[in-house]
Amino acid sequence: MAATSITCDVAIIGSGFAGSLIANELSKKGIRVVILEAGPDVQPNFNAYMNSFYRASSKVPESPYPPAVFGFDGKFKDPATVAAGRPSSLTVGGSKKPGDTKPPTWQDPNKAYLDQSKSTRPFKSTYERLAGGTGHWMGLTPRLVPNDFRMALRYGKEHGFVDWPIGYEDIRHFYEQAESELGVSANVDDQRIPGIDDMFPDSYEYKMPRIPPSLFDQLVGDKLSQLDAKDTQFLGMNRPVTSLAVRSLSAARNSQPYRNRRACSGNTNCIPICPIQAKYDPTITLNEATNNGARLVHHTVASEVLLENGRVSSIKFLTYDQENGPPTGGGVIKAAVYVIAANGIETPRLLLMSKNNGQTPNGVANSSDMVGRHLMDHPQYLSWGLLPDPIFPYRGPLVTSAIGELCDGPFRSQRAAFRVSLGNEGWTTVVGGGARFGADPNVTTLDFVNGTNFSGVNANDFTGLGGDNRALFGSALTNTLGNLLSRQFRIAFPIEQNPDPDNRVKLSDSVDALGLRRPEIHYDISDYTKRGFAAAYQLKVLIFKKLRATHDFTKAFQDDPAAFEIDGIPERFTYGGAGHVMGTYRMGKKTEPKTSVVNEWQCSHDHPNLYLVGSGTFPTVGTANPTLTLSALALRTVDDIVQNLPSLKS
Amino acid sequence: MDHGRERSTGETGALVPISKISRRTMVAGTVATTVVAMLPLHNSVFAQAALPDKAKQDMMAFLILSVALTGVDISTLAPEFSRGTGDLVDADPGVDPFNIKQDYFDQLNGPGTAAVFTSLLNFVKKNPLVSQDDIIAKVNASDDTKFLARSIVLLWYLGSWYDPVDLKNAATSPESVDGPITQKVLSPKAYTQGLVWPIMGAHPMGYSNLQFGYWSRDPHDQNPDQKGNPVPLFNPAKPLR
Repeated sequence: MAATSITCDVAIIGSGFAGSLIANELSKKGIRVVILEAGPDVQPNFNAYMNSFYRASSKVPESPYPPAVFGFDGKFKDPATVAAGRPSSLTVGGSKKPGDTKPPTWQDPNKAYLDQSKSTRPFKSTYERLAGGTGHWMGLTPRLVPNDFRMALRYGKEHGFVDWPIGYEDIRHFYEQAESELGVSANVDDQRIPGIDDMFPDSYEYKMPRIPPSLFDQLVGDKLSQLDAKDTQFLGMNRPVTSLAVRSLSAARNSQPYRNRRACSGNTNCIPICPIQAKYDPTITLNEATNNGARLVHHTVASEVLLENGRVSSIKFLTYDQENGPPTGGGVIKAAVYVIAANGIETPRLLLMSKNNGQTPNGVANSSDMVGRHLMDHPQYLSWGLLPDPIFPYRGPLVTSAIGELCDGPFRSQRAAFRVSLGNEGWTTVVGGGARFGADPNVTTLDFVNGTNFSGVNANDFTGLGGDNRALFGSALTNTLGNLLSRQFRIAFPIEQNPDPDNRVKLSDSVDALGLRRPEIHYDISDYTKRGFAAAYQLKVLIFKKLRATHDFTKAFQDDPAAFEIDGIPERFTYGGAGHVMGTYRMGKKTEPKTSVVNEWQCSHDHPNLYLVGSGTFPTVGTANPTLTLSALALRTVDDIVQNLPSLKS
Repeated sequence: MDHGRERSTGETGALVPISKISRRTMVAGTVATTVVAMLPLHNSVFAQAALPDKAKQDMMAFLILSVALTGVDISTLAPEFSRGTGDLVDADPGVDPFNIKQDYFDQLNGPGTAAVFTSLLNFVKKNPLVSQDDIIAKVNASDDTKFLARSIVLLWYLGSWYDPVDLKNAATSPESVDGPITQKVLSPKAYTQGLVWPIMGAHPMGYSNLQFGYWSRDPHDQNPDQKGNPVPLFNPAKPLR
């Protein structure tokens, strides 16, 4: 195999949000940029992805995208036979039953890409490895709030909280720049949070008008407009809560044509894929970057960061042609500045793999031993219910409105914060609190066709059909399904996770088809976060009551490895992954190199020409979806790279 | 020089690709079906592929059966259906650009289900004007026909093939079911033509022909029909004569 050598000014590993934004800004300035992408190139169109999605029997977030999760035999492909693998929602479940000799799916490295065999609980979030990164994002772009940057100062260090080295003011300008680049639709007043001033200057306007609310948003907003302060005391806010505002959420979805992309037509498919790219994804910026002269090299997996005299001297890579490998070549990329933008799991994996012939046994940029630690997500508390009247879900973007005002308050010294996200997609996520029987509309349809009750709704209480487990044909079937499916709703509570050094990414003994060690995950949920679930549960009960949703279809199975109980609450909990992989190479002040990996510019404390970007740098995670914040941080890092490049080149 | 691995419009460095990159197998041959699914109706090319008489009768029998089982009108199941003046089984099922009915017919007429399927078609051919209730009573009379009929409805509703054997197992011993019932999406076209979506006033996820903002309004047509009645969300079955 011949060795390849690439030279440039700035080498970027990963072409997702952070990598694409940085590549574009630098190449606009005439800086020579090369991006290494582990997966396939930008596709000429979405036809192949849409085809895979339509064909998929489980329409999970990864379903449109390569590599295939299943082999031709219909069984999970062994991740050891995949060149650039990635986790799948289909391999985060499963439970061990009495007599089983094999581990459950989520703990079986022969089925699951992430080795979780030693983890306490499953880490359920997934990501993609292809040009443009994780396109299966919701498109929601709320900002963090000022206190999210100073958790230790405001709410104490008891729960592992630390302060960011920067504050909201330092990033505000870059939020605006990111909102422009991604193309965010919102009304500023909807994004303001009561009691939190100064988030937006009076003159600020988003690029496009807001996305209009769904029928469900309108209903919930109406029902929560008048509350008894006694009923909401449990929220622990510093004010009586006599109403909860349902507001249109900012989103990188076009509400009108923007930058040659059309307006959203409500495909109800933000995750896994917007068929018309009305929702921003990084291939848009990536294409601009390559138009500006950046070079994208795909099917190319960075395998080791090499050091010389305290600086990164080059990054080794392997190439492959076929999805299943083997490696077909390799080489090194040499640059003045290196940016690793490979997400919260692959970035620490690369750093930890970089042993430099034993000279860096703990990996590169890891004198603090913090690389890979503090893995966080926003564990999702999901609930499903049935309304007395139709609100016609399965229409519009997946989420159009939310309740954001509970994301900060004095309660945060005691329990995790959360937001409330209202779903427009009925029970498609999963039915019955676990993906066990599949998703709707399939499960409910199947129940009424086949006389079963896996959905829980084929009972006389809901149907009035004079009996349970009814099997129907003809107009009885259309009437029943039309009625029940159009009354479904979903509410999710994404809950803050506090940093825990033992929630971490390490290197597994299991490898991929390139022979590289795969990520090993250790993950659990703290009591602080569980107390957030408890408060979310109380709010859920209140909202269900206000909606007159008499039955809660949320359910955690006894053998669910994610399930847990909370004293005094008559519900067994489980959580979903939000797809927010955060915290694994956190930022800190220049004076804190022992407790953090990068400084406020996302530059390694250890190596002045190495930048680590993406949500892995978040020291704490708040409750906002991380994409906008990581994009703003990436744009902020551009300034530092531009400033330091001349001296680093010499 | 082989540029297969790189993509750039500018000269930014010395890249020497090592080997030729092969097209992903996923990309190959996947475009056609998506394109077909977006063609407008009334394309005369399709009308030429008319069926021979026996096949036409079988298709008509399948449609009569399907209308009764699905509760959806024949004008939705077979948009180019033409009643004519003869017997109902001799009417013209028509050929439309999607022609999903033929895909479903072929699936049902395949190994494992053809015999029971044929028996149902023969029943309808002998009794073409039988009421929809009587068709339902007929299929419910034996397990073989009942579970195949359920597979038929699931094809029309979801575009997915659920084997009648799996349906019978799930219905008779639900306690043994520990995961989703095995199903196969017949094709991208079948998914996008699923009837459960219009029945609930929606569209297949990932396949919207609607306009920005529709989701903030009730899906019902706000104008009544010519007789002043509200317009239903989908086209409910009318008796065939």
